[in-house]
Amino acid sequence: MKKKILAGLIVLTVLMIAGGYNITHLNNNVITELQNIISLHEVEHLRKNLLNQIKIVQSDLLLKDSPHARDVDTFVLHVEEMTRTSAICSTCHLDPKGKAMLHDFYSGVDRYTKQLSRVYTIRANEERLTQEKEQTFQTGQKVIDEINNLVVRLDSKIAAKITQASTNISQAKQLLTLFLYTSPFVVFGLAFFFLRHYTSSVATLIGATRRLKEGNLDYRIDNDLRDEFQELAASFNEMADSIKDNCEKMQQAERLAVAGEISAGLAHEVKNPLAGIKVSIDVLRNELPLAQEDKEIFLRIINEINRIELLLKELLSYARPSPPQTISLDVGNVLDTTIKNAQYSLKKPTGNDQPIKNIDFVREFAPDLPRVVADPAQLQQVFLNLLINAIDGIGESGTITIRTEALAGFVQIVISDTGTGINPENLSKIFTPFFTTKSKGTGLGLSITRRLVEQHDGTIGVVNNPEGGVSFTIRLPVLA
Amino acid sequence: MITRLLKLSFLCAVFFLILPLLSGCDDQQKEKETRVEPAAPRIVIGLLPEQDLFSQKKRYQPLVDYVSRKAGVTIELKILSRYGNIIDNFISEKLDGAFFGSFTGALAIKKMGVVPIARPEWPDGTSTYYGMIFVRKDSGIKNVADMKGKRFAWVDKATTAGWLFPLHFFKTQGIPDPHTSYLKECYFTGTHEDAILDVLNGRADIGAAKDTVFYRLAETDKRVVDELEILAESPRVPANSLAFAAHIPSSLRNTVKKILLGMSDDPEGRALLLEFGARRFIETTEGDYDPVFEYVEHVGIDLNSYDYINN
Repeated sequence: MKKKILAGLIVLTVLMIAGGYNITHLNNNVITELQNIISLHEVEHLRKNLLNQIKIVQSDLLLKDSPHARDVDTFVLHVEEMTRTSAICSTCHLDPKGKAMLHDFYSGVDRYTKQLSRVYTIRANEERLTQEKEQTFQTGQKVIDEINNLVVRLDSKIAAKITQASTNISQAKQLLTLFLYTSPFVVFGLAFFFLRHYTSSVATLIGATRRLKEGNLDYRIDNDLRDEFQELAASFNEMADSIKDNCEKMQQAERLAVAGEISAGLAHEVKNPLAGIKVSIDVLRNELPLAQEDKEIFLRIINEINRIELLLKELLSYARPSPPQTISLDVGNVLDTTIKNAQYSLKKPTGNDQPIKNIDFVREFAPDLPRVVADPAQLQQVFLNLLINAIDGIGESGTITIRTEALAGFVQIVISDTGTGINPENLSKIFTPFFTTKSKGTGLGLSITRRLVEQHDGTIGVVNNPEGGVSFTIRLPVLA
Repeated sequence: MITRLLKLSFLCAVFFLILPLLSGCDDQQKEKETRVEPAAPRIVIGLLPEQDLFSQKKRYQPLVDYVSRKAGVTIELKILSRYGNIIDNFISEKLDGAFFGSFTGALAIKKMGVVPIARPEWPDGTSTYYGMIFVRKDSGIKNVADMKGKRFAWVDKATTAGWLFPLHFFKTQGIPDPHTSYLKECYFTGTHEDAILDVLNGRADIGAAKDTVFYRLAETDKRVVDELEILAESPRVPANSLAFAAHIPSSLRNTVKKILLGMSDDPEGRALLLEFGARRFIETTEGDYDPVFEYVEHVGIDLNSYDYINN
């Protein structure tokens, strides 16, 4: 756009310079033509003046030896003036034929002046004097004839030149008028073009913003805008997408919060009667003389009640999390304890040492890990959730690697497993409440985990390992 | 911002308003400068018609302008239609000086006591000239006997080459008064150049003129040397010299003489001399006219009573 603005300015400048040059050029042409006309009129004036000069000299010649004869000084001055006037003709621009005529004219003038001098200096008999005088007069008349011939030759050209000059002046005047009246339109036209060029894009962007403000989050700029405005439009569309996503998330979060509150209230109200029912069922199972099949039915009822209690407990934990009781702690110690608990959960309830799955827990703890400020119980719950998830993801056997390392301002904990991994489509949803891929899962475990991590100003992320399984990465801020 | 723009606009407007006035002031200043000119003394110098009046004046004008500028004197050239006019003009005090011919110079010295100061020296080193009598080669005229009944073009009765010498020539040939009966027609052309051209163009059969004009004309018209034949030549006499009237202060005479003599040392002066056809100016005194006085005496003319009017 800067280039276009610069180009526009250059175009305007060039137009102004070109206009100025043309106006100056036209003015110069007009002045030149006027000078030509003046020069051509001067030629006419010169011709008349020269003819007058020659006629004066001719009259001097005729008056010589008469009572009205002029003195020699006056005569000499007249001849000099005539010669000087005739010399001006040499400055005229003539074609070769005109130049030849001018040459003949000058020869005639030269011959005439010599004869004039002779008439004034010669002393002879009357006959010779008369003859000399007559010859000189005739020479003078010839000079006049030559001037007239030159004039006849030049007159048509001069008239044509004057007409041409007048036409040129008229054309220049028309062009100047045209420039005068069209220039503002051209300038305004260009200005309008440039303004329109840029304001239309701005108007489109402003319109889109207003539509967005009015709540139309689905509105996108589909027009092809010019230059950087196209990038701005793309950014606007991205912003609109982002706003829409965030709005949807917020709405969902609000809905979940409301649902959570209702569920928590309901759970709280259901929890106590459910405990009474469970105890009553257990008493009935133990006290009544029932067949073994009937007792197993009671036992299944109690197991289902236990599952409902667990669900209620997690629901309460998610909806009304308890505030963390933070202390300075070593993450490695918490992890050790949690790993032991996880290993313990793998043992069969029958009491022998044979575990349910053959899982190898690998500790890759960084030495001198900085301490963090956290609630140890909540942190243990976080790690246990992730370890149980890992155990669930592994089949009969596998490896769970727990790695810690110190980063700038953070302690990073990575829990990787060699399990089946998570479907890529579900990766972005696994922290969403009630989302689960397990047949008996509540879908709240990882949601609670993320909430607890975020309560500690930390972050949690998940990726599928290239070689299989998933890796959860937790970052907790170190103690400042 | 707006205030600054207004100030700037105001300054621009003032500048463009003042601009024409500045130009006008410059013109007024120039006018004032051109008005201040010191008044220079003015003298009039006469010029004889060696060649046609206008060519003669044109030839001498640059020389006179140079001297005028160097001496701080306004010198005006006055071309004369007759050699004898120069004496008349001196008598009527219309002239303060003149480029005299040898005979008019001798006349003026004797009659009016003019003071000669300088004369040109030609490129060949001479500062004199001589008279010549000439005819067309195809005229068949070879001697005085052949001249009988022919037309003679004299220059002027106040010239050495154009009158005194041919008169002396006829006298020595036993014809003391050729213009009355011996020749068919005698007339005075008034200029040496016309005397030469008249013979060349057949308007006269015999002519007399000075060699300097003859050969200068030959430079532009080859017919002069190709078609004319010189039958007699006079002794050498001093070339046309500048002389001042007795009333001109000696200081001014000396100043002008110094400028003329110094021309050959000045580049501008040398260029003018070249154009004039001379190598330099040399000092001239009354003594340089002795050959003319002797010649006049030999012809039998009394300068004090000589009638120089052409009849």
